[in-house]
Amino acid sequence: MSTERVNATDSDGSSGANETGGADGRRAATGATDLDAEGLVLGYPDAPEPVVDGASIAAEPGSATALVGPNGSGKSTLLKGLATQIAPEEGSVFLDGRDVHSMDTKALARKLGLLSQESTSPNSITVEDLVYHGRYPHRGFFDSVTDEDECAVNDAIELAGCGHLRDRDVGSLSGGQKQLAWIAMALAQDTDVLLLDEPTTFLDLHHQMEVMEIIETLRDESDVTVVVVLHDIEQAARLADRMIALKDGEVRARGPPSKVVTEDLLAEVFRVDAEVVATESGPRVTPLRARHE
Amino acid sequence: MSGERSAVGGEASARRSTGASRFGWLLDPKLLTVALGSLLVIGAAGFVQVSFGTYSMTVGEAWRAVFDPAVLLDPRWLLNFLLGEELMRTVTGFRGELPSLSHGTLIVWNIRLPRVLVGIIVGMNLGVSGAIFQAVTRNELASPFILGVSSGAGLLILLTLVVFGGLSAFLPLVAALGGSVAFLIVYAIAWKNGTSPVRLVLAGVIVGTVFGSLQTALFFFADDIAVGQSAIQWTTGSLTGTDWAQVRLALPWTVVAVLLSIAGSRQLNLLLLGEQTAKSLGMSIERVRFALSGVAVLAASASIAVAGIVSFVGLIVPHVVRNLVGSDYKRVIVGCLFVGPALMVAADVGARLGMSALTGADAQVPVGIVTGLVGGPYFLYLMRRRQHMGEL
Repeated sequence: MSTERVNATDSDGSSGANETGGADGRRAATGATDLDAEGLVLGYPDAPEPVVDGASIAAEPGSATALVGPNGSGKSTLLKGLATQIAPEEGSVFLDGRDVHSMDTKALARKLGLLSQESTSPNSITVEDLVYHGRYPHRGFFDSVTDEDECAVNDAIELAGCGHLRDRDVGSLSGGQKQLAWIAMALAQDTDVLLLDEPTTFLDLHHQMEVMEIIETLRDESDVTVVVVLHDIEQAARLADRMIALKDGEVRARGPPSKVVTEDLLAEVFRVDAEVVATESGPRVTPLRARHE
Repeated sequence: MSGERSAVGGEASARRSTGASRFGWLLDPKLLTVALGSLLVIGAAGFVQVSFGTYSMTVGEAWRAVFDPAVLLDPRWLLNFLLGEELMRTVTGFRGELPSLSHGTLIVWNIRLPRVLVGIIVGMNLGVSGAIFQAVTRNELASPFILGVSSGAGLLILLTLVVFGGLSAFLPLVAALGGSVAFLIVYAIAWKNGTSPVRLVLAGVIVGTVFGSLQTALFFFADDIAVGQSAIQWTTGSLTGTDWAQVRLALPWTVVAVLLSIAGSRQLNLLLLGEQTAKSLGMSIERVRFALSGVAVLAASASIAVAGIVSFVGLIVPHVVRNLVGSDYKRVIVGCLFVGPALMVAADVGARLGMSALTGADAQVPVGIVTGLVGGPYFLYLMRRRQHMGEL
C-alpha cells in the first residue's frame, strides 16, 4: 500500500522538489528517506529510570507514522531522541542508514526537522521572518537570502495556509494561528523527515483540522516521511499509515490503524474501556469508562 | 494549482527582494529615526563637551578649534592622534617637529574631543555587549557584567592597585584580563553536559558574590586615600582624563567586536527562538553560545580597559533599542551602536560639568554614577509600564 503511494506520488513529489528549488536531486534519486531507531534507551540526567527503554521503530519512507500512548509513556522523549535532542544511552537512530549522531548538525537539520510541543519566540517578530528562520540549515554563515530560500518560504506559508498572517507579529496571533506559523517554519526547513510533537494539542477544532490537513497533504502529495505524536487516537488513526502505541517507554503495538486501534489495546495501553467501531473514515472510538485495576 | 502557486511566489518574492536585499533592512524607518535621533544627541552633547570646561573659550572659538584646518587638513596631525606619534612617524616617514597649533586647538583636540570619542566607543561596546548577553541568556535583565565580567575586572583592579602597584601602568589590560578570566570561570562552573541560560546566570551570581567580597576586603588594605579614589574611579566607571591613548587602545577591539556581533546577529535571532528550536534547525548551540559570549566579553573588556566598569549602560541601551525597533537582532545591534554612544556621551556631560553647574565646585564625578542615576528611574518606568519583565 505504501509502495503504491510512493510510486503514485513520485511525479508530484519531483515537481514539488523543482518548485522548491531542491536541486540536489536527492529525492528524485533515492525517493523518500527512511528513519529507523534500534534499541533506543533514552533518559534524562536527573531521572533514575530511562523514559524510553529499548524502543525500536521504523518510519516507512514517505508515509505518516503516528505515535500514541498515555501521558508519560515516552512519546515526546522518543521523538526528541529521534531528532538527536537527547543523546541515547543505548541504541542508535539511522537516517537512510547513517547514524544521525555522527552527522553534522546542519546537514542533519537539512534532512530531519522537529517541531517541538512548546515553542517560544519574541512577540515582535513577523510570521514571515519566523518562517525564514526555517532556512537556517540551508544558509552559510554569511549567505544572504537566495531564490531557493524564497521559494521554500512561500511554499511553506502557502501549504500551512497562513499567507494572510504573513506580516502579522507572532505575539498578536491566537494559539492556533501561532501553531500554523511554527508549522510553516518547520516546512520551510524543507526536510525529508518531519517530526511533529503533539501539533494539535490545545488548538480549537478549526485549527486542529487545519493542522491535520497539512499533514494529510504532506502524506499524500510529497515524499516527506512524517512521524507525529498525537493524543487523539481517532485523529491518529485517520491521519497515519501506521501507528505505534507506547506505554511505559516500550512499544506495545504497531501496524496499520485498523490493527492497532482495538478495544483490547485501549484497555491495555490507555486503561479505558471503549467501544471501537470500524467506519469508512477509520475506526471510531467511544470511550466508556476508565479502568481501575 | 502550480500556476497559482508560482504566481503567489512571484509576487511575494518581488516584495522580499526589494524590501530585504542584503542591506535593505538598514533602511527601516524606525531604525533610521533611532540613528538620527542618537546622532543629534551625540552632536549636542559633544557640542557642550567641546565648548565648556575649565579653560574658558567662547562657543565660537571652541568650534573653530574643532574644525581647525591646521589639524583637519594635516594628515600628520590626524595620524598623530589616531595612531600615536611613533606609528605616525613610521607611516609618514616624517622626522621633524609637527607644526604648532593654537592653544585652543590643542585643548580641544588633546583633551575634550578624545573624551567624547572614548565615550562613543564605550557606549557602542556596552550596548552591543549587553544586547548579546540578553539574547544568550534569554533574559532582559542581563547586562555585559552578568557573567562575572565586572567582578573579575574589579578584583584584578583592586589587586593591582593595592598589592601589585608595579603593574599600574598595565591597569587597562589587567582589568580586561580579569573580566575575561572570570567569564571563563563562570562558564566552567555552569558547564555540565552543556550549559543553559539559567545555569550561566546562576554561576555568574556565584562568581560575582565571591569576587565582590574579595574586592571589598581588599579595600581595607588600601592605606592610601589616593589608591582608594583611583579604585573607586575604576570600579564605578569614569572618563576623566581619557585621551587619544584610550581611543587607540579600544578602537581596534571595538571594530572587531562590532563586526562580529553584526555577523552573528542571525545566530542571536535564532537563540531567541529557544534552545530546542535552534537545535532542531541545526545550530551547534553550545559552540554558538560560547562564541557569542566571547564577542560580548571582548566588547565589555574593551570598554573596561578605557573607562572602568560603567554600570547600567549595557542594561538599558538594548531595552531602549528593542522598544524602538523591535526584536530583530540585526536592527537591535545596529541601533545599540547609536543609542549606546548617545547615552554615554550625554551622561558624561553630567559627570564632567554637572557638579560645577550645580555647586560651582570644580569637581568631576565618575560617569558611572550618572548612568546609574539615569538608569534606575528608567527601569522603574519600564517596570510600571509593562506587565512582563524578565524573559525575552
